[in-house]
Amino acid sequence: MRTKKTTPYLYMLPGVFMVLVFVYIPVIFNFVYSFFRLSSYSAGKTFVGFDNYRRFFSDDIFPIMLKNNFLYCIISLIVQVGFGTIVALLLESKLAVKFKNVYRNIYYLPALISITAVGLMFTFIYEPNMGFINSVLKVFDLPTRSWLGDSKLAIYCIIAMSQWQFTGYITLLMVVAFQNISTDYIEAAEIDGAGPIRRALNIQLPLAKEQLLVCIIITVIGAFKLYTEVYATTSGGPGNSSQVLGLYLYQQAFLHDDLGMAAVAGVFIFAITVVLSIIQIKITGSGKD
Amino acid sequence: MKKSILKILLNIFFVILCIVILLPLFWIILNSLKTNQELFVNSLAMPKKLQFINYVKAWEMGLYKYFGNSILVSSVSLVFILALSSFLAYGLTRFNTKGSAVILIFVLGGMALSEQVALVPLYKILKAIHIYDTYFAVILPYIAFRIPFTVFLMRSFFISIPTELEEAAVIDGYNSLQIFTKIIIPITKPTFASCAIVNLNFVWNEFLFANVFLNNKKLQTIPIGLVTFKGDLRIDYTATLAGLVIASLPLIILFLCMSKQFVRGLTAGAVKG
Amino acid sequence: MKKSYLRRALVFILAGTMALSLMGCGGEKESPSRDTSKEATSGEKTSNEETKKEATTGEQKVIKFMHRFPDEPYNSFIEGKLHEYEASHPDIKFKITSAQNQEYKEKIKVVVGGEDTPDIFFSWVGDFTYRFIRENLILDLTPYFEADPEWKDSLIESQMKQYTTEDGMIYGVPFRLDCKLFFYNADIFEQNDLKVPTTFDELIDVCEKLKAAGITPISFGNMEPWSASHYIGTLNQICVPDDVREKDYKPTSGEFTHPGYVEALEYYQKLLPYMTENPNGVKPDMGRTTFAMGNAGMYYAELIEIPYIKMENPDMKFGMFKFPEIVGAEGNQDILTGVPEGFVVSSKTKYPDECVEFLKWFLGKEVGTEQCQEIGWFNAAKGTTEGLTDQALLDGYNVIMESKAMGAWLDNALYSTVVDEYLTAVSDLTNGDITPKKVMARIQKKAVEAQTLVGAGSTK
Repeated sequence: MRTKKTTPYLYMLPGVFMVLVFVYIPVIFNFVYSFFRLSSYSAGKTFVGFDNYRRFFSDDIFPIMLKNNFLYCIISLIVQVGFGTIVALLLESKLAVKFKNVYRNIYYLPALISITAVGLMFTFIYEPNMGFINSVLKVFDLPTRSWLGDSKLAIYCIIAMSQWQFTGYITLLMVVAFQNISTDYIEAAEIDGAGPIRRALNIQLPLAKEQLLVCIIITVIGAFKLYTEVYATTSGGPGNSSQVLGLYLYQQAFLHDDLGMAAVAGVFIFAITVVLSIIQIKITGSGKD
Repeated sequence: MKKSILKILLNIFFVILCIVILLPLFWIILNSLKTNQELFVNSLAMPKKLQFINYVKAWEMGLYKYFGNSILVSSVSLVFILALSSFLAYGLTRFNTKGSAVILIFVLGGMALSEQVALVPLYKILKAIHIYDTYFAVILPYIAFRIPFTVFLMRSFFISIPTELEEAAVIDGYNSLQIFTKIIIPITKPTFASCAIVNLNFVWNEFLFANVFLNNKKLQTIPIGLVTFKGDLRIDYTATLAGLVIASLPLIILFLCMSKQFVRGLTAGAVKG
Repeated sequence: MKKSYLRRALVFILAGTMALSLMGCGGEKESPSRDTSKEATSGEKTSNEETKKEATTGEQKVIKFMHRFPDEPYNSFIEGKLHEYEASHPDIKFKITSAQNQEYKEKIKVVVGGEDTPDIFFSWVGDFTYRFIRENLILDLTPYFEADPEWKDSLIESQMKQYTTEDGMIYGVPFRLDCKLFFYNADIFEQNDLKVPTTFDELIDVCEKLKAAGITPISFGNMEPWSASHYIGTLNQICVPDDVREKDYKPTSGEFTHPGYVEALEYYQKLLPYMTENPNGVKPDMGRTTFAMGNAGMYYAELIEIPYIKMENPDMKFGMFKFPEIVGAEGNQDILTGVPEGFVVSSKTKYPDECVEFLKWFLGKEVGTEQCQEIGWFNAAKGTTEGLTDQALLDGYNVIMESKAMGAWLDNALYSTVVDEYLTAVSDLTNGDITPKKVMARIQKKAVEAQTLVGAGSTK
């Protein structure tokens, strides 16, 4: 093409500039901050070397947070991605169900509600005295729990709330991916005598691989960035039982004014998400077509 | 015979799922129409009288402000995310440029960088350039953080476009920008649509930056606005529920009305053609 | 040709970005008042005129004011007063921001110290403000008091003492007085033939009788863990000698090794069986509402919750009694838990004198009298009870006036990491997941760490 050498660079410039200034530069600063003790309102900062890291890894909360983030990741993969994809397959199956679009739309609705709204709604739903769940349990004379107030259940309640909200989102994305598969493939497989399950495994899923990979990536990375859901419900409580990395970072920065500790949490989240992204891309063998 | 039994079972399954999804929402709406006393006594009961006043109260507390802000922030962010990302992907893929591999890695690497990692330094940077507590305090970071992922999606699509189309256009005398707007964009509409949806979901729901960077009530988007709103209404629980319903309805209604176009946009029937 | 097109597009985008950002900066205005009183509207009119004048004279002083009472009717009262002041002082304009309790604690640290530091903002007694004082961010009000003895005399000394540091620096002025008292449902007590308990054992007795009658003895919600810290704070005062406790509460010397702290937790545990089931799942506000709706016998409340109770159930008949005596405890039983909550002035404000002048009026007798009648909160000015008819409020006020000493809220008195550990550990204790000794072990660890954290990072 008869284009000047600089044209492509001009196209790329604004995007690269934004990413450089607002993403990379802050992240690099974050690394730097993690070696200091500084607060948002003090003028001075003190170099403390690896002390922040030591405090972070030796904190009693650390294993709890790690466990919670991993729990969220695994359960979301099973429910949102796994179950969500199965629902998508069922919706798009040959047993063309009459109201499939209606069902699909209904399942997607919660994803349209702001996460903070869902969090606030569920604090009412989980409320031990007059909340929805305990009220229903009482009608059937079943034992009630304190849900978000129970240190063993709180994180699961939050995870459940998230599955309720986003499974339909994944279903929608996968439905579209399945609809994009030309029916020729499916008919050919049918003619070859493949049953619905084999068709799903050998035709539909592989052809929708890209979309599935995208869903998995956003779910996994989202599990480690988890913040809003916990902030809007328990703020990490009761005790520290529902604490997660993202919330810890925020609290260190803005409740304890310890920007250095917050930076360490940031570095840790960064390390995990990078490793996981690389693993995923390697496993599925692409990032390109 | 077997088929119709399967069909019935499948329908039952779907209906049960619907109930699981919708029941909590019905309970919320039901209680938003009660008085606080009624909520306390029995949250499963029907209200004696429909307390629409809860909705009036919630609206008057300024929910529309948060809406307006969310719409403004989301649409501006979306436009620029799509524009800058598609420019970037275009520059990366349609020209044989030196260093495009490096730039690609640079941009895709941004995908692994989460907002929390940048939170504290960004806060200091935004304050230093005086855009803290303005719309730009959130719009600019949103754009920057969504570019990597969007470029990732768009690039894989752009690569699959055959070069013959462009070569024909060049012969016809188009410059690169015209090629971009007249040829590439129309073909990639479904990718644009699907990127728009994924990014809209993020930007509309984004809470961390909005919470930290937007202090002024007048600028707050819905996620942080709802937290403020809950604080403002403190013990008026039923009005709070009404507010949550109001905050959630518009997108739901919009989606239900436009769901056909929505899905059609995602369905890339055009590509195979 | 194509390049210039692209260039123009880029320039346009960048220019648009900058233009919109400037618009965003200028878009901040003071939040509109919902107060419909005459003064407010005339105030707005005057400030509109003044804004026009300001364009020519440029003398208007903008004072940033941040408070933590965004809910009604308190928000309207505060904004109404601010507008009233603007009306009588045309050169002053307020920019008001607010946030609710927990969000306030987070937000304030974000804004203090930068250029957006509010000139006047709400701040709690204790380390919550001391951390700002250590960074020289709080205006010392002592010279103003010395220059105006009349002002000094017009304020209640026992309350002003709370906003004074060890070194004698007066750093804030109270906006609302507060203390913790046990509220009890008068009807329930009468129906069950119960007498107000004066000792801890008598309290347990009363609880037993209520429980036997199928009534929740003490309503309690700890989903926001500061709620339990009010009990623990009181019990610490009772079980630990004053001098030990004062040393421990200071971040530079905190150790928390005295056995009284463990005792305090054990007394708290004794009350748990009589409290709302699973309190960690219940919000503190919900705890109060349960009491107000007549579903519990007692509730350990703050004086400032009286207006809330009246809103939730205007017909509620309740009485109040002080936290009962624990016979044989080593600490000080005369301390009334509660300190006033008020406003401080930033040391970086451009208008220190104007801010102090404003606070003299806003937190003084005239406004105070209106305040307790309109919203049921007292400020520290003397003689604000004239004309107040609400007996419950008056009784509460007298309790404060008669108390020999006040005790600061535990969750604001201590260093933030120690507070955090206290709150989360007590939350675990409430769920039965941990023993009192373990709780104190965790707190001791954090207290020792805090000693090193306090020194570093400051400008000294």
